[in-house]
Amino acid sequence: MLSRVANNLIWLDRYMERGNGILSLLKVNYYANQDSPELFSWTPIMKTFTTYDNEFYTEDSLECIKFMVLNTENSNSILNIVTKARENARSVQEHISRELWLCINNYYLYLTKNDLPKKLEEDPVQFLEDLRNYHLVYYGTSDITQERGPSYYFMNIGKYLERVILISDFTSLKLIDISNTTDALEKSFYWKNLLLSIGGYQLYLKTHKSTFNEEHVISMVFQDKLFPRSVYYCINKLNKHINQLIDCKELEKNKIDFLLGKLESTIKYTTIENINNQGLTSFISDIKEDIRNISLNINAVYFSQNN
Amino acid sequence: MAKTDLFSSYDLLPKTWDEMYNDSSVFRTQYEEFITYLENTSSEKLTKKEDLAKQLFMSQGVTFTVYNDNEGIEKIFPFDIVPRIITSSEWNKIESGIKQRLKALNLFIKDIYNEQFIIKDGIVPGELIYSCPNYLREMKGVKVPHDIYVHISGVDLIRNNDGEFYVLEDNLRTPSGVSYMLENREISKRLFPGILPKSNVRSVSNYPNLLYKKLKELSNKPEPNIVLLTPGIYNSAYYEHTTLARLMGIELVEGSDLVVKNHYVYMKTTNGLKQVDVIYRRVDDDFLDPLEFNEKSVLGVAGIMAAYRKGHVNIVNAPGTGIADDKAIYIYVPDMIKYYLGEEPILKNIETYQLGRPDELDYVTKNIKDMVIKKTDGSGGYGMLMGHEATKEEIKDYLDNVKKKPENFIAQPILRLSTAPCYIDGKLSPRCIDLRPFALTGKDGIDICPGGLTRVALKKGSLVVNSSQGGGSKDTWVIE
Repeated sequence: MLSRVANNLIWLDRYMERGNGILSLLKVNYYANQDSPELFSWTPIMKTFTTYDNEFYTEDSLECIKFMVLNTENSNSILNIVTKARENARSVQEHISRELWLCINNYYLYLTKNDLPKKLEEDPVQFLEDLRNYHLVYYGTSDITQERGPSYYFMNIGKYLERVILISDFTSLKLIDISNTTDALEKSFYWKNLLLSIGGYQLYLKTHKSTFNEEHVISMVFQDKLFPRSVYYCINKLNKHINQLIDCKELEKNKIDFLLGKLESTIKYTTIENINNQGLTSFISDIKEDIRNISLNINAVYFSQNN
Repeated sequence: MAKTDLFSSYDLLPKTWDEMYNDSSVFRTQYEEFITYLENTSSEKLTKKEDLAKQLFMSQGVTFTVYNDNEGIEKIFPFDIVPRIITSSEWNKIESGIKQRLKALNLFIKDIYNEQFIIKDGIVPGELIYSCPNYLREMKGVKVPHDIYVHISGVDLIRNNDGEFYVLEDNLRTPSGVSYMLENREISKRLFPGILPKSNVRSVSNYPNLLYKKLKELSNKPEPNIVLLTPGIYNSAYYEHTTLARLMGIELVEGSDLVVKNHYVYMKTTNGLKQVDVIYRRVDDDFLDPLEFNEKSVLGVAGIMAAYRKGHVNIVNAPGTGIADDKAIYIYVPDMIKYYLGEEPILKNIETYQLGRPDELDYVTKNIKDMVIKKTDGSGGYGMLMGHEATKEEIKDYLDNVKKKPENFIAQPILRLSTAPCYIDGKLSPRCIDLRPFALTGKDGIDICPGGLTRVALKKGSLVVNSSQGGGSKDTWVIE
């Protein structure tokens, strides 16, 4: 596969995953903000998911959502993310299924419709859900139309890389809030909010019922083997897809499989006591550092052969 | 709505051939079937179909981007829902005419880059060739597979008021539009259920397979690595490049994806370098190789021409074919046909005056109101003077410019492009059209896809069909 194509495929799925994550976060925070704006303000979200030079902040829910979704100046707005995803998809059309291209093209066209901002004012939740549906259709379309081969593996690498980063960012975001309060009830609100944002609340209830225990949340978010949005699950998938690429000779062994294997076992075998001893913040920053290294190594593979 | 309403404002242009009506305002037989369909369909429904067509183009991503002040605006190439219909006997003549012409043009290119008999025999003046910017010295003596230079062409035809098809331009470099031929047909299938089979319309869908076959036979390898080289996402024909690559199942590459090593061309893959055997390039000659042509080009590949000359890679169309579709050379095509093939041209040329000849410049100046003047190296409808609609000042300025280098200009009488019915504001109106059939040349001969791209000047009374100047397109039906 062309190195440029591999790069575009990775970024196609990274952008789509990021869009899905941000939309989910916005929806959860909107609900929470309507209950208790003092606990669930918009500014930290805007800070984390815009670029460093962003100067626009607001606590007006609709204005914030509009900025995060439709603003063209905000390089991480859903509109900009999807535009970039579409540009990536456009240039690799002969590698992705026709259905996948149509799906992403229609999503883009929907986002650029003139009457879309009106929908936000009518019902912000429906507005966000309608957008998120495009992501769900994207996942499904990719699953049932894309052949299992290098294109699919590269796309999945992008997807799971981005997902780990998002989970880490979401958690860091909440940890700041949590560290700022001594109120146990407030803390539990934040943990619940984290679970909702990554879509794990229902599973938590099924597993642990309605009792909030910090350690249970941490182990679910980081170590659960079956929850598709736990860090462990993502690293495991990342490892699988990387190995499939190595098997079909699309990727050199290099250091990546070693780095990934190490990270996977670290997460798997670290006990909750170890995490508590190390401190969750430091645990997360270690994971982020490892992910950064893995990502750089993947980059090296497709940039090193340029001569 | 009353049926007659559809035709109520169909004002025929004077001295112009209409594709639907004959001289006594009776429908031509090839249009009867479709008109019956139109008459039985309400204008509300037709307007809905028009909207549907627009939506389909958008949702399929059949768009091009116009850049203005760093901001890209995505547009669709306007599509008129009423097909242009050609009879099979008309088509047969077009087909044989284009085949004849391409055969001669290909022999001409081979001759020009090798023995140059046609210059020695005094048919085409040598100075015209050497002064032509599209003549590539780099191609002199280069051996090309099967002696084919022009594999892909899109000859532009117009129908004059005598009902005959004339060649307007030969387009032998990187003609575009074939994806619109394919896409327009897909849209027609959805807009007019059942009408295509009922009318016995010949299919165009085999084009990508045929193109792939022609590309493949250029290599001796059983499974050659064939790629399509695009200038990239900012090119207005990018949609076409992605479509053709997808439909043929070949890799779409940009210049930066390719590299030349020891006179072989490779693409950079995740699995190392992989040799490239055939390149269908949509990059102009000038930008193909910064070592030999435009040194500032980042669209091409350094060293690709040397690899090509060594026969290590095939480039389609061959570099240097522009010598044969240059506007100054055009005048000589009928002579070429006689010279190389010993035949009379089946398709006529449009009468063309070379302003480098004082008597012709004089004649054109006197009859300027009936003339269109073009630069010999211009394209896309730019840099033209349409005598009948220009002001006195515009004519004076243009002629002053011509007089500086008259050999760079040609003039042709203003053509009466034929008109075809278009669905505009709920009614049918005649609009000027041309026709670009797409031909593929390979070792077993020339294949022409039945139909092609009909371009239409959507502005009332306009003769300019170029998409850059308000033109649109129609599906083109060749019926059995």
